[in-house]
Parts: sequence; C-alpha cells; structure tokens
Amino acid sequence: MDDLTEMLKGTLEGCVLEIIGSEETYGYAITRRLNELGFADVVEGTVYTILLRLERNGLVQAAKRPSGLGPPRKFYALNDAGREELATFWSKWEYITSRIDKLKEGGR
Amino acid sequence: MGIQDIIEGKKQWRAHMARVKALPPDYQIVYKEIQRYIFKVGPIDLLDGSLLSGILDFFEEGVAAGKGVLELIGNDVAAFCDDLIKDSRTYADVYQESISGKPGTAEK
Amino acid sequence: MNFWETMTGSDLTREWKAFEARAEALPADHRAAWEEIKGHLSLYSDFTGRNLMPILDNALGLLEETASDGQGIHEVLGDDIEGFCAALAGGEGARSHRDRWREQLNRNVAKKLSRPGG
Repeated sequence: MDDLTEMLKGTLEGCVLEIIGSEETYGYAITRRLNELGFADVVEGTVYTILLRLERNGLVQAAKRPSGLGPPRKFYALNDAGREELATFWSKWEYITSRIDKLKEGGR
Repeated sequence: MGIQDIIEGKKQWRAHMARVKALPPDYQIVYKEIQRYIFKVGPIDLLDGSLLSGILDFFEEGVAAGKGVLELIGNDVAAFCDDLIKDSRTYADVYQESISGKPGTAEK
Repeated sequence: MNFWETMTGSDLTREWKAFEARAEALPADHRAAWEEIKGHLSLYSDFTGRNLMPILDNALGLLEETASDGQGIHEVLGDDIEGFCAALAGGEGARSHRDRWREQLNRNVAKKLSRPGG
C-alpha cells in the first residue's frame, strides 16, 4: 500500500521497539523486517533517525560489532526503560484502535 | 567540538572532512547539503559533535552495502534531517526563551 | 546598552575578537554578508550578546564552510539576508524560512545529483 508515511509516523517507533524487543538486531535488518511486513516505503534513513532517538532517550542498549565486510555494525537491544516504553506503546495502540473500530462500526 | 572548532581546521574536523571526501560523489553531495541545512537550523546537539559523525558512520555503512544515497535515506532529504534533530532545541529556541523569560514559547 | 557596547565592553570581547579574526579570513563577498548579518542581528533590541553568540557562531560557521567549498554567497543565503537573520533568531516568520531552507535543501540535492560527476 502506498502513501502510508503520514499515518505510520507516530507508530513506527513502537514497531521498531517491538522488533528490537524480540531479538538484538541492527538498522538494516530492522528496515528489511518492516519492508517485508508490507511497509515498502520505509528506508534505512527513517529507521536510523528512530534508533538515534531511542538511544538518546535511553530506551536501548547499543553496541558496535565488527561485520563481515565494511564498517562495524551497531546492534541494539531493549533495556528496562525500553520494555516499559514498548508496553506503553501497545496499550496506547489498543486504546486507539478499539476507539476507531468503534467509530467505524457506528457504535458510541 | 564546537562549531568554531569544527571550522577552524582543528584536527578532529579535518579528519571528519577527510572521511566525507572518501565517500562516493552522490553521498558527498547529500552529506554537504545536510550539514549546511543543520548549520542554519542550529540544533544545540551540534555541539556534542556526535550528530554529524553519526551521519557519516551511517553513510559509510550504506556505501559498504552498495546502496545509493537516496535509496538509503529516501528522496525527502529535508524530512530525514528534521527527524534527526526533532528532539533538539535550536539556538533560536534558546534565544527566544531567553528574551521571553520562559521556555517553550519559541516558534517551532 | 546597545549592541556594540555589549559586544565590545564586556567579557564577550575576547569571543567577539575571535569572530572578527575569523571573518577577516573570509573572501570579500562572504565578509560583506557577515557585516550585513551583524547589522541585522544588532536590531534585535533585547539582544544581550550572550544569547546570540551561538547564533552568530553558526552563521559565521556557515559562511566559512561554504567559502571553503567555493560556493557563492547568493547560493547560500539567497537574496534575503534580513529574513535569513530573522530565521536564525527564531523570530516572527522563522517557520516559513525554515520551510524555504527545507525546499532549498531538497532542490539542491535533486539538482546536483542529476548532474553527471556531481
């Protein structure tokens, strides 16, 4: 689906937290995962800015590891604050989707 | 690393620009435009020096992966920049706060 | 106290001299732009020197960086230095200027990337 950028904006950070939460990983792999999920427009640059913010806000642990070729890769894992943030994201997400579903079904 | 240090040809900055020059032409063009934009906007994060070198790390990874620069960060380079500095106050913010006597009143 | 007294009559003198020394090293066009920028920023009546220092530093840095890169002054600032200064200080109209910088950035990238060999 095209043109999801605006709508995705606020939720992408939560998606990235979720992906990091399931295993320690790096930017390119996170981008691939989101692309495979169907968010084709997400580029590595977008993920980079999100990772930068997560790191600055102390939600992830980052470690540089040598990669097969090229410069070392930065791997990210969630810390306690990150796990808490992720839980908050999902509860907000549930709240929003339940309200919007209700709206769509014409309920009150 | 202050902006003044950056510009005055201090060792760190020369090493930084040497890394820029080692990038392929398309990356160099985009990097320089990004740097110029960030200088204008003036995020106070610029002072710790990791913002610009972080972009370079990221770009070098992109080069190693054989990607074009716009493939890496998307066509909207300005959006990428704004995402990078989203959480940072700017010198303009600081100035506006100092003359109004309270934080948060600067035009965003 | 006016702009110049603030600049020259306080602890900022040393910093200010350093600015001027850096400006001396700029090519003529860029130095002229620096003079103009100082002139505009001095109009901010509530200017105390200290709070605009980093903004001046940024502006000077931009001039130095573009001069060393061989860029013309017009290409860097456009023809509206007054507006540029307002945007630097974050005053009225800063938002529309930032939008202009944003467009300029994307336009420059598109233009330069389409040119063979950069």
